Parts: sequence; structure tokens; C-alpha cells
Amino acid sequence: MTMQPVPVIAGEALVKTFRLRHRTVQAVQGVSLAVRAGEALGIVGESGCGKTTTARLLLRLEEPTSGRIRFLGEDITGRHGPALLHFRASAQLVFQNPFDALNPRFTIRRSLSEPLRNFGIPRAEHAGRIEAAMQRVRLLPAAAWLDRRPHELSGGQLQRVVLARALLPGPRLIVADEPVSMLDVSVRAGILNLLRAARDEFGLAAVYISHDLALIRYVCERTVVMYLGRIVEEGPTAALISAPLHPYTKALIAAVPVPHVAQDRAALPILGSLSENAHQGVGCAFRARCPYAVARCGEETPGLRDVGAGRCVACHLAL
Amino acid sequence: MTLLSVRSLHVHYFTPQGTVRAVDGADLDVPAGSIVGLVGESGCGKSTFGRALMGVLPSTARVAAGSILFEGRDLVPLAEHERRPLRWRRMAFVPQTAMNALDPVQRLRTQMLEVLCERGGLSRTAALDRAATLLRMVGLDPRVLHDYPHQFSGGMRQRASIALALALDPALVIADEPVTALDVIVQRQVLDVLRDLQHRLNLAMILVTHDMAVVAYACDRVAVMYAGQVVESGPVAAVLEAPFHPYTMGLSHAFPNLRDDAAALVPIEGAPPSLLSPPAGCRFAARCPFAEHACHTQPPPLVEVAQDHLAACWRSTSAQELRALAMQPATWAA
Repeated sequence: MTMQPVPVIAGEALVKTFRLRHRTVQAVQGVSLAVRAGEALGIVGESGCGKTTTARLLLRLEEPTSGRIRFLGEDITGRHGPALLHFRASAQLVFQNPFDALNPRFTIRRSLSEPLRNFGIPRAEHAGRIEAAMQRVRLLPAAAWLDRRPHELSGGQLQRVVLARALLPGPRLIVADEPVSMLDVSVRAGILNLLRAARDEFGLAAVYISHDLALIRYVCERTVVMYLGRIVEEGPTAALISAPLHPYTKALIAAVPVPHVAQDRAALPILGSLSENAHQGVGCAFRARCPYAVARCGEETPGLRDVGAGRCVACHLAL
Repeated sequence: MTLLSVRSLHVHYFTPQGTVRAVDGADLDVPAGSIVGLVGESGCGKSTFGRALMGVLPSTARVAAGSILFEGRDLVPLAEHERRPLRWRRMAFVPQTAMNALDPVQRLRTQMLEVLCERGGLSRTAALDRAATLLRMVGLDPRVLHDYPHQFSGGMRQRASIALALALDPALVIADEPVTALDVIVQRQVLDVLRDLQHRLNLAMILVTHDMAVVAYACDRVAVMYAGQVVESGPVAAVLEAPFHPYTMGLSHAFPNLRDDAAALVPIEGAPPSLLSPPAGCRFAARCPFAEHACHTQPPPLVEVAQDHLAACWRSTSAQELRALAMQPATWAA
């Protein structure tokens, strides 16, 4: 048996409960996942499935109700302030909306030097590092861009700046939450290709959060599908898309349109909508919408079980 | 039969920086009973185009030239009091965020009655009946009439705003990115509602979107907009399978697709030109790997390149060869 390298980031049995005035929301209910160096993991699911909360927990932007977070094997769950500074430099987030992610009053140069200053990189190194980062995201010549302000750049160009900024502190982990959904289709591929190149060049661990399975398929080798705070399926992306095991994954894949006239327009294998069926308690959370549900699905919550070939599924009926 | 025929439409925004030619000579035909996709990137003028058709442009914008022939009548010279009776009765609008069509603090019933009684002239009882029918038609339980839109999910809101648009039985519905903000499953359900309505009511629709896959799924015809102009239009199958404009060719492998095995995605480098001072020639020339001298100096006209298929490209006679080149990533490398 070969030794698996220690994951860059790992979440163990993560639970996050938000207490609102009149109710509690169990956003994440026992999610475990790990991402190794050079690997890209996709998290897909509908809005409200807990995918963004999971990512925020991994980045320590949100305190888990229970569960542990390990960075390079080290438990960083309870850490705060200076004890977390190294992690903050090592784990970077690429935001969905580049128009909001950069201070409109800062020049690009200032936005890029901020993280270098925050993480105590000697001043003498700043110019060189910024130049290299601009080169990496192909905003060349750097001098032509650095003195501009965000309103002078297009969405695609801004997202390149956001990506350059994320790479500047030399991270080990990049989390990208819908990194191209705000961008024009013609420039999306450019950003995805840069993210892929950065991952390969630095052996980064990457987590992509998206509701777009086609995007996930392009950038992630492994994918987890979340439904109402739980992982319902996990596996190599290609296998998961060509032969989904969980009924929810099946519906999700059937719903994605493709740019061809000949395509499946049959009714989706799913009932109702998420909001009407936000079920809690014993049993499978998906059963009210599942066309295959049987009595057992209401009596026993299916656990995530290993079905071989690197695949896991939380369904009593799968295989 | 052509329900709507737009010719050489120009819409200008007057800004402190100058005149923005948001729509600059766009042509579009919508046959009765068909769904036409209007695709393009942000800022290409597709939303402005839709608003100009409805006659609901913001106060800073004006139709500067062109004609909008709808049911045999040119709408451009009409005064507001002549346009108003057409709105909702003959053509209706579904905005991107349903909350822009629905008032969150009014029960859905109040809003539907307002349209059906005041604009449609129905009695209260008849209106309530009609409201229930409309909601069933879009797959909602008529009981939601008693609820407030803020209680609805995204999909319910979009269905409700479609029901509201259909209230007075229009011939044409203009839907501006109606599924963009929705999750895939809900998106699919809403698209199915639109297709079902098209068949049942023989409704014509303009579906404004940036997503070619949505067009392929739901539309009969498509018009591709770039920098304020329609650069290619025709039946969806023809435009997708055998595009004549390099921009359409570039779009087809610029973003991932769930089924096809694309080893590498190829972006179209650069950005659309400023519409404050658009370039003299073809507007795509600066980003086009196939541009020749003429492309930079003369704007290409929108002409028939195949049966029922229009494109505006000086190189359309070499389209077959260009399509083969466009398949190769190296072609698009900056």
C-alpha cells in the first residue's frame, strides 16, 4: 500500500448550525472532506445546500459548531489571531464578484501590495513579486495596469487581478467560490485556464464551489455533491457525471442543458422543489423529492458508504 | 408569419461622456409562435434591445432610428399613450429578477387582480378564476395567491412573474435572462414552463440570455448580438452546427459543456469595443483571428449566407474553412 500524502486541508465531521431569531438552520451536517496538494475538488449543489458554508469553515472564516479542521495535518480548529497568520497566508479565496473584491479607490498596485504587507514580506521584494504575479495572470506589461483603478478594467481583467492577489502570499490552498459566474462567457475560459495553470505550477490544493457541473468537470478531478448540508455523493468527476449513483446527482446532471439541438428534454427525475421539502430529522433528506424512495428511506438516514473505485454514495438504493 | 420585424434599430444613451450607441443598427425577426434566443455578452445591448421593444427605456435613452414592426404596425413613431395599450395586452415583459416584477409587500392576489381588473377589465370573480388558471399553467398551486412574494423561492417567483406577464394573453413575451439567477434544476423547470406555454398558447417569445446551452435547449431561432448589432441569426440548429460568424464560432468552445470532451477551453482574448466610439469596420475585428484589411475599415452588412440564415462577416464565403480553423486552440491564442 502506498502512503497517501497528508492532505493540505481536511474537514472532519463538520457541523455548522446558525441560530436565527425564530429557528435554527443546520447549514452543514457532518461533512468530511480532504484535498491534497495538486488536487482540485469540486463542491456542487443547489443554493442553500451548504457548499459555501463548508468552504468558509475550511477557510476558518466561520467557526464550526462541531468537527475539526486540519491544515497539513495540524489541527487548527480553535486557533485565532497570530496563531492563524501562517494559515491565512496559505489559504486564499477567489471571490465570485471581482467588482466587489477590490477596493475601488485603490490602484491595482496598492491592492496587490496589501497582502504582502499584511503577511510581513520585506518591502524590497514587493515590486518583484507583484511583477511576477501580473505575468502569471497575463496582465502585461504590468506597468500599464498597476496604476489603474478597478473601474478602468473589465470583469475578466479584474478577476485576473483578484487571482494575482490570491497567489501573491504563496498559498498552499485556493478556494474559488463561483469564480467565473459573474464574467462574460468569452473570457471565462481564460480565468479557468489560469487557475488550472497555477495549481499545476505550485502544486496547490484547490476547492471549487459551483452549481455548474460543466465548469466543475473542466477543472476538478474529484467532486462532492451536497444536498441540504450533507454530502450525498463523492467520486472522480468523470465517473460521477457519466454514471451518477445518487438520485439527486442524476437529476442535477439531467438538468444541465448542452449547446446542441439534439438533447434530452424528458421530465427530470425529481419531484417538487427544495423549499417545499426542506426536511429535517430521521430518514433521507432527499426522499420527498426522490422518485425511487421506499419505506426504509423514511426510517433510516443513509450514511455515506464506500462503493469502490473511489466513489461514495449516501443512498439505501444505490448499487 | 412574422409577428415582429425590427429593422436597423438604433438606441442611444446620453451620458456625460457622450452618446453610447448601445444598439446600433440591429435587425431581428420573430415569427408567430416561436421562441427566439437573443444571445450576447454583458454590454452588447441585448437588454436595451428588449427594453426598446417594450417601450420602457430609461429616461437617458432614446430610439434614435429604425423601425419596430409589430403586428403590422411600426411602434417607433407611436406616442406613449398609443404604446401603453399594447403593453401587457399584446407584448409583455419578464425581467431577470422576478422581484422587479413582483411587489414583495403585496399579496400575489392583489397584484394579479390589479392587472386583470384594471388593465384587463375583468370582474373580480372572473379575475380570480383567471388568476388561478394562470398559476396552474405555470405549475403553481393557486393557493399561493394569498402569499407574499417574499415568501416564495426563486423558482416560484419566476413562475409567478411569468403568470403575471401572461395575464392579458399577449402575443409576444420578452424575457430578459429569466433563468440566469436560478439553480440548474429550477432553471430547467422554468424553461419547460416556457416551452409548454409556447405550444399551448402559440406564444412567441424573445429569450434574452448569455447562455448558448439555454438557447439550444429552449429556442427555435437565435440572434447573436455583438457590440450593439446582430451579427448572426437563423434557426438554432444552423447557427450552432454551422456558424458563419467567427464570434459565434469562438463562443462555442469558450466555455465548458457537460457532454463534450474538450481537452482545452479557448477564450476569445480581448474585450468588446467601447460603444462611445465604436470602430469603423467590423466590431469584432480587433478580437477576430481571421480579420483582413477590409474588416478594419468597412462594416460588413447582415446578409443571407444560407437558407434563412443571416450573418455579418466579410469572410462568410470561407466559413467552412474558418470553422475548421476555429476548432483549433492555437487559432485563438493572443
